[in-house]
Amino acid sequence: MNLQEHNISDNNFEQCIKCTVCTVYCPVAAVNPAFPGPKQAGPDGERLRLKKNNFYDETLKYCLNCKRCEVACPSNVKIGDIIQSARIKYSEKKPKLRDFMLANTDLVGSLSTPFAPVVNAVLGLKPTKAVLDGVLKIDHRRTFPKYAFGTFESWYKKEAKKQASFPRQVSYFHGCYVNYNNPQLGKDLVKVMNALGIGVQLLKKEKCCGVALISNGFINQAKKQAEININSIRESVNQNNLPVIATSSTCTFTIRDEYPHLLGIDNADVRDQVELSTRYIYRLLMQEDIKLKFNGKKIKVAYHTPCHMEKLGWAYYSIELLKLIPNVELTVLDSQCCGIAGTYGFKKENYKTSQDIGESLFRQIEACDIDYVVTDCETCKWQIEMSTSKSCEHPISILAKALE
Amino acid sequence: MKFDTLIIGGGLAGLVCGIYLQKHGQRCVIVSSGQSALHFSSGSFDLLNYLPDGTPVERPFEVIGALKQQSPRHPYAKLGEDRFKELSNCVVDFLAEAGVQVVGNPEQNHYRVTPMGTLKPTWLTFKEQVVCEQEDKLPWKKIALFNITGFLDFYSRFIIDEFQRLGTECVLHEISFPAVEGLRQNPTEMRSVNIARLFDKQENLDELVRALKTVETDCEVIVLPAIAGLSRDNVLTYLEERVNKKVCLLPTLPPSVPGIRAQQQMRKAFERLGGVYMLGDTVLKADREGNSVVRVYSYNHGDIPFMMKNVVLATGSYFSQGLIAVPDKVYEPVLNLDVDFIANRKEWYDMNVFAPQAYEAFGVKTDDDFRGISQGQVLDNVYVIGSILEGFNAIKQGCGAGVSILSALYVAKRILSK
Amino acid sequence: MKQDTKKPFDVIIIGGGATGAGTARDCSRRGLNVLLVERFDIATGATGRNHGLLHSGARYAVTDKESAEECIKENMILRKIASHCVEETDGLFLTLPEDDINYQSKFVDACLQARIRAEVIDPKEALRLEPAANPSIIGAVRVPDGAVDPFRLTSSNIMDAKEHGATILTYHEVLEFLREQNRIIGIKVLNHRTKEIQEYYAPVVVNAGGIWGHNLAKLAGVNINMLPAKGALLIFGHRVNNIVLNRCRKPADADILVPGDTICLIGTTSSKVPFEEIDNMQVTPEEVDLLLREGEKLSPLLAQTRILRAYAGVRPLVASDNDPSGRSVSRGIVLLDHAVRDGLEGFVTITGGKLMTYRLMAEWTTDLVCKKLNVNVKCDTAEEKLPGSREEESEITKKIISIPKTQRNATIGRHGDRAERLANNTSLDNSLVCECEEVSVGEVKYALNELDVHNLVDLRRRTRVGMGTCQGELCACRAAGLMTSMHKYCTRRAKEDLASFLNERWKGMAPIAWGDTLRESEYTTWVYESICGLTLSQKQEE
Repeated sequence: MNLQEHNISDNNFEQCIKCTVCTVYCPVAAVNPAFPGPKQAGPDGERLRLKKNNFYDETLKYCLNCKRCEVACPSNVKIGDIIQSARIKYSEKKPKLRDFMLANTDLVGSLSTPFAPVVNAVLGLKPTKAVLDGVLKIDHRRTFPKYAFGTFESWYKKEAKKQASFPRQVSYFHGCYVNYNNPQLGKDLVKVMNALGIGVQLLKKEKCCGVALISNGFINQAKKQAEININSIRESVNQNNLPVIATSSTCTFTIRDEYPHLLGIDNADVRDQVELSTRYIYRLLMQEDIKLKFNGKKIKVAYHTPCHMEKLGWAYYSIELLKLIPNVELTVLDSQCCGIAGTYGFKKENYKTSQDIGESLFRQIEACDIDYVVTDCETCKWQIEMSTSKSCEHPISILAKALE
Repeated sequence: MKFDTLIIGGGLAGLVCGIYLQKHGQRCVIVSSGQSALHFSSGSFDLLNYLPDGTPVERPFEVIGALKQQSPRHPYAKLGEDRFKELSNCVVDFLAEAGVQVVGNPEQNHYRVTPMGTLKPTWLTFKEQVVCEQEDKLPWKKIALFNITGFLDFYSRFIIDEFQRLGTECVLHEISFPAVEGLRQNPTEMRSVNIARLFDKQENLDELVRALKTVETDCEVIVLPAIAGLSRDNVLTYLEERVNKKVCLLPTLPPSVPGIRAQQQMRKAFERLGGVYMLGDTVLKADREGNSVVRVYSYNHGDIPFMMKNVVLATGSYFSQGLIAVPDKVYEPVLNLDVDFIANRKEWYDMNVFAPQAYEAFGVKTDDDFRGISQGQVLDNVYVIGSILEGFNAIKQGCGAGVSILSALYVAKRILSK
Repeated sequence: MKQDTKKPFDVIIIGGGATGAGTARDCSRRGLNVLLVERFDIATGATGRNHGLLHSGARYAVTDKESAEECIKENMILRKIASHCVEETDGLFLTLPEDDINYQSKFVDACLQARIRAEVIDPKEALRLEPAANPSIIGAVRVPDGAVDPFRLTSSNIMDAKEHGATILTYHEVLEFLREQNRIIGIKVLNHRTKEIQEYYAPVVVNAGGIWGHNLAKLAGVNINMLPAKGALLIFGHRVNNIVLNRCRKPADADILVPGDTICLIGTTSSKVPFEEIDNMQVTPEEVDLLLREGEKLSPLLAQTRILRAYAGVRPLVASDNDPSGRSVSRGIVLLDHAVRDGLEGFVTITGGKLMTYRLMAEWTTDLVCKKLNVNVKCDTAEEKLPGSREEESEITKKIISIPKTQRNATIGRHGDRAERLANNTSLDNSLVCECEEVSVGEVKYALNELDVHNLVDLRRRTRVGMGTCQGELCACRAAGLMTSMHKYCTRRAKEDLASFLNERWKGMAPIAWGDTLRESEYTTWVYESICGLTLSQKQEE
């Protein structure tokens, strides 16, 4: 009888056997009693919501979508996806203006970068923070990521010709952060790829991956942007034969996994061709006889595994690349959530939760004698730099610094 | 990704095997699909409590011959008496080095206290927990039992009654203070681990000290549910120094704080030795060349395979999906190794839930070297360890942890001797 | 207690199913002094072992018009008087490609004749209404089916009876009838909990024992020929459908899929069983396979849905012919006045019928009892709402707003306005005992204090503790702990009780124990056997 042979329900929610392991690893439940916890909010709650949608509880918004419950689950239950899907399906709360501003990294970024010095200065001012806090409920204690003066895309325009001259090419999904806040990381990526003999192309059209839109409830807009991105990725992969690499672990995770799981966008034909630059480089170095040339400077770093990196399971590649640097002193920090989770930590109501979650990570970092914390996620970087005395860089930037 | 040994499954067996190999110079990776059953540990490891025919065992060393006769394919039977003794004798030190402090002696079972207050035979018990030498007696005459108000996974009444039956006076005290009440705002998350997290913080631990001190008692020992010492070392010593009494822990219902602590300590030990631990990944398929597995592919790593000399399968039983039961068969999903099971589903079960269930003894077939078998053919470099193995009933015989640890150590040594 | 037993009741009702409870309610509301005795707990027989379908009557429209008419009438009454036990889901009668589409018009005509609203709808519309239905359907009829929770319904009838002075004794088994010449004057019962034997007297004794009424009648010296027909069902882990799904064809096996509370269930099979087996029904692998095969035709999703448990009930059908399947036996109500039928005074049997018509059965029985006692009070059970169904959900919500939302909804779902008893819950009371079904400490306490709960299985029937996906994995132990802390019973008995609760759960899981259910069982066994050291032999030690 093959009946019931593959009885796997949506998001594996019925595979939950109530073992409580997820509750052990939820960073939110550990610090915020208002969050029902992954087991209740996820599979247990889903069963009730299937009975009647009034079992949906707005406290699910406290889930920061770190997916650490999923990584821990011995039953493969997509707990985080269940919670996020429930928010999408059942939440009746309209997102606020604040959420709109936080979610539209793209729009806000393109408005800000031309005036970066002014915007950065204003965002740093006490009165601005008071307004943000009082009116918009963006916590006044939060430091804003600085906007760069000029975008990565505008820098790249001048580079495009040179990049085209390389015999091998990849496409680069730079993300909003590289474009508006940290173009240097994009430049570093270009430097590293060039050192490997590879030129970097941009996608025909790149939109914000949409992670912040999803978490703030702008699902339709997220879907639209996702479609645009997937179409650009398709063109790159299928027509131009160029794989797509990214530097942001969250963008990568969103495009690969959240698109199909939360937005219902089929990316099966290109999913395997979207990956993190560190994984791409690792594969290249394993498969081919290419060597990077290093300057041999001493450097002490501690690697922090971002939540979505933990979920992807790809921290290994970034760590292995860092190990290639001669004279590197590498500490791998315990993999735990830093608490920011994108726009989550910016919200006034989440500030305390966010900082409480990160506390033990911050302590661990402060105890290290290091030059940099290294991580693949931009929002972890903001959080770490705001909450510790250390500065934080992407592994690609560290690699770029170490190159001859 | 090149490694000497790929261990699939990061529970007790996988970690013991990984630590041993890593310690002896191998480069290992553990791939674990989620957290392991150590999260539900009783705080003790059993070696052998009953023979397959139900005879109680007090001295495991003396019955391996009889065991071999009753269950020739029992993992202990495959090890043989000498190896069984040799391996089990070195476990206390091995675990201590891995950061897990246990007490116990393989020659003579001791007794642990269950969350229901009863005594149950066992081999090794975490050093913070109550250990009894006798089956019908506690080591103390007077006990002060403390529980956290509103903590539902610890049953003080059961414990008190059982203790009194064993001739020990036991008085219950309840503890509550603001931080604990804060936890209680959440209807579900007042779990052992969340309470333990409170007590990882100094100010709360001091509250606990104050609570323990306020009770004037002439008790010999203070007993608490296992809700302390999740990530903090020597919590009990800290308490004992301040209250001037011995302090012991009793297991709670899952999640198990001591079990999680053990898991974390062992993982750290493995990683400290240079091992790579990949959590939340699932092995999907393996490429074979002849009778060897040469490449293994996982969900997370896609087209980048694991390449290794040896594969150790430590994926556990049904719970961890090392074994999968469908209406007409039981199979091993990772490498599709041969499984020992009964074809007729009706015979898998006994209608008394507490009777031995046939399904509990199904498992992956191996040769005497614990090498896996695929369609009747022994594989050269695939070893199978832990609760996925055939030939024993971990629950009824009380030998789950013992099988995991000893088969792991044996296979590690076997791999090193190649 | 001795002097109590001397004081006669007006009526003694034997059987704590829906019919017995309904009769107790009706009699007590008409001013009679009622005693109800039940061998086990309420709703342990056929009452608690069926679909929980609030029949519109459509199923019987073609074959049994009388039953159909009774059903639709009672259906409308229950929606009103038992709103907290009823879910107004509606039902669809689906025609599959393998079914005869011509049956549909015959079916609709019969429904309309029985005054059952039956509306032919486009299959596409049916799929929009119920996406879980088989997409290959060629016809669909919408009828006013629904879901009814038999435990809740029985419990709330008992509650109302008690509030009108009735005495309810569960775990009291009738050993013999007390007679004076050709008259039954009382019963001798064994209290299973204290092992005491007591006598109770009343001028009328009602046999409402369902299939067990056969043996009760024999004990009283009269003969009723009942036919025990076993019906097996499967419970799925969550709701697949939100509308009752039926097959539009002559009633057959496994052709009803009912959403009920957090789960849904498919049933039933039908087979004749000997009387010796009626206390120990087990579902065979063949029955499981049949239910799955047929169920999948109603909703293909069932093939991917986890089965929680399998169970079987015994229909109390009164044999009118020699039909071996028990299907064409009339499900009509059988009320026997043994004075008229057998010349035995003071003894009445109410049987046949179905859960749907329990109230009508109770009304007829009470009418007869009243006639015998020369009481002339009109029945009001069709108008007066049951306890729990007397207030709107929004009103109740306001009164217990401090309870966390999901818990509050779950509790109101189970207890209706009686959930207001939890208004003063503290955060301690709000802690969940059963996480799958959101049963709080407060709710357990309420059930223990007010709802005649004597063990964990009783508690499950009142609160759904242990009815969720984990089938008692964590909650059973917590509930046992609570019961001892409330001094309901000693810890040794609590452990025995826990062991038998787990055994009872396993009985339903074993027939479908593969995949995740087996994983769950293995885990539960670790928790209770390995970690807690629980064994069934606790009982034998005693």
